[in-house]
Amino acid sequence: MSIVEVRGLSKRYDPPKGVLAVDDASFSIERGEIFSLLGPNGAGKSTTIAMLSCLLRPSHGDALVDSHSIIDDPQAVKSVIGVVPQEIAVYPDMTARENLVFWGRMYGLSGAELQTRVGEVLELVSLADRQKDRVDKFSGGMKRRLNVGVALLHRPSILYLDEPTVGIDPQSRRSILDGILALRDQGMTVLYTTHYMAEAQELSDRIGIIDHGRMIALGTHAELVRIVGQEARVDLTVDHMLEGMVERWKELPGVSSASVEDEHAELLVDDANAVLPRLFEEAAEGGSRITSVNVSEPNLELVFLHLTGRALRE
Amino acid sequence: MSRIWTLARKDLLETRRDPLSALFIVVMPIVFTAFLGLMFGSGTDRLSVVVHDADRGEQSQRLVAALEGSAAVRVVPKSAAGLESWVADGRAAAGLLIPQGFSASVKDGRRAGLVVVSDQTSSGAQAIIAEIRAVAGGLVAADRAARVGVATAAKLKGEGDGKLDSEARQTEITATAQRLATQAMAQPAVTLRTVRAGAAAGQVPTGFTLSSPGMIVNFIMFSLMTAGMGVIMERRNGTLRRLMTTRMRRDELIAGKMAGMFVLTFFQQALLIGAGQFLFGVDYLNDPVALVLMMIALSLVASSLGLLLAALLSSEQALVAAVVIVSMSVSALSGAWFPLEIAGEGFRAVGHVLPTAWILDALRDIVTRGAGVGDVLSAFAVALAWATGLFGVAVARFRLA
Repeated sequence: MSIVEVRGLSKRYDPPKGVLAVDDASFSIERGEIFSLLGPNGAGKSTTIAMLSCLLRPSHGDALVDSHSIIDDPQAVKSVIGVVPQEIAVYPDMTARENLVFWGRMYGLSGAELQTRVGEVLELVSLADRQKDRVDKFSGGMKRRLNVGVALLHRPSILYLDEPTVGIDPQSRRSILDGILALRDQGMTVLYTTHYMAEAQELSDRIGIIDHGRMIALGTHAELVRIVGQEARVDLTVDHMLEGMVERWKELPGVSSASVEDEHAELLVDDANAVLPRLFEEAAEGGSRITSVNVSEPNLELVFLHLTGRALRE
Repeated sequence: MSRIWTLARKDLLETRRDPLSALFIVVMPIVFTAFLGLMFGSGTDRLSVVVHDADRGEQSQRLVAALEGSAAVRVVPKSAAGLESWVADGRAAAGLLIPQGFSASVKDGRRAGLVVVSDQTSSGAQAIIAEIRAVAGGLVAADRAARVGVATAAKLKGEGDGKLDSEARQTEITATAQRLATQAMAQPAVTLRTVRAGAAAGQVPTGFTLSSPGMIVNFIMFSLMTAGMGVIMERRNGTLRRLMTTRMRRDELIAGKMAGMFVLTFFQQALLIGAGQFLFGVDYLNDPVALVLMMIALSLVASSLGLLLAALLSSEQALVAAVVIVSMSVSALSGAWFPLEIAGEGFRAVGHVLPTAWILDALRDIVTRGAGVGDVLSAFAVALAWATGLFGVAVARFRLA
């Protein structure tokens, strides 16, 4: 059963000639699943979240969140969503408890219910023993946990997390990812945006790949990988890139695509063992030398490369 | 409503925890009030007059005592040399020399001379001369009235039983008559109530009366930095956007921010007015209702202006620059640093385009001549119109990110 139904959602900033940030996106999120929007920076992930959070009004289309329209009934939508922004959007000169009490009131909680819920969330994000400390004394990971905790105060039906692991250390990232999986195990629905392929792959029940505002692929990890078939990715570096070499590589049997950046090239091949000697030969004939090679089995990065001709990190 | 108040309270809590806030909101305004107040004058309305009594007689001592009881002048006893140097240095606007023989002249009914040393160009000296003339004239008149009365009685009695023929008896009765005449003249038949016209009539306020309201307006404008900075910081760290993902509506958010700024500036005014009243002797409590009305007016203008600056500007640096420019310009044009009465007519006209000039005039009218609610309503209306306009633009331009 879908908790989010997105139908033909578009957003153009400064119409009619402004940037089309989201272009006719349609997808649904099932209750209890982790759904990831995967795409590079500027792909339209945050704009999509902003529209589903009722922060931005769509140019076209609509979405139902727990049966409430983001256009017709934004207040009802806000009551069922919890939003964890990319920034640490809490007040640094207030304590953890003061922050949670403040945000709880903003979500409409009060009295004993508010105090009880604040206590529960402090336990949930493992900050009960630091609840009276000011947030500006917290580590980055603790601030991130509090940032998530704020969004859970009012027991939302769905949690939106907008790139919550950007710029944090591996330990804190691990903690957040584990926390999200634990929430899913408790029945929480999660909409997660990231440009890290590994995070999407690890967390998600389903993944929507978004680029230039368009949803270019959607499915489970296995379904998406099947898009590129059994192709492997070959990353190689040459001592100097010859003019026209990439074009010659592309024409080799078994090579489906190739892209180059400076002295580095990425190729999708059906059989790496068969293709690699030919690549070395072509390079040597032109007077260039391959200095490193890495072969990767099919993954989401390859899917993105296959669908867009660009690497996800570009 | 509760969300608006919760947001306002949160803003106030953050301001209270900022160590620099107390410096800008309380300490600096009081220091500047004291500094400017001392620079502008002693803070008393009485003009200093240096007095040297060379006569030391009965009448001269009565004259000095009467001047000491005056509400217009403050007597500073000095030697003859000290008298001249005080006037020459400008420490006193005028000096009074009571020459030897003054009391004898009064007693004998002859013309009694007094010498006033003054700077003729000083309006303060003119006021002192007028006060000396009035006080001395009153004393001499009472003395003469008593003597005439006694002489008349003696003449009439002399034609009868002759009981007033003795000189000692006449002296005794004359003294009694003098006392009675002085008492009678102290309760004049016509009561003239003197109302200080304040700045509006060209009288320039001095001392703390000038500096205290001026510094209140100046530093309330400066507090726009604290208030506006809160909004810009919240925009930068994403809490403004996050607030809009809760049940808070945009109008509630703006109202909450405005309420926080209003309470902050109102509280700051209350503190500074308290300091003015109890530390510097500025009489703000002449009409408490009029005072509160002006406090509301100033807080409305300041909070709507703060909201507008926060709506228009994106960075802390831009806000700091804007607040410095706005607060200094507004303060100077409104007469917060120096009275507009000493400025040219054009400057005064430009100044009174601003609501703060009207508010300052009203505040000074309250403290100098006890202006009431009716007197400050026009200032309140101007401030309200400005606040409404500023608030409207701020709401239209308010951005979450």
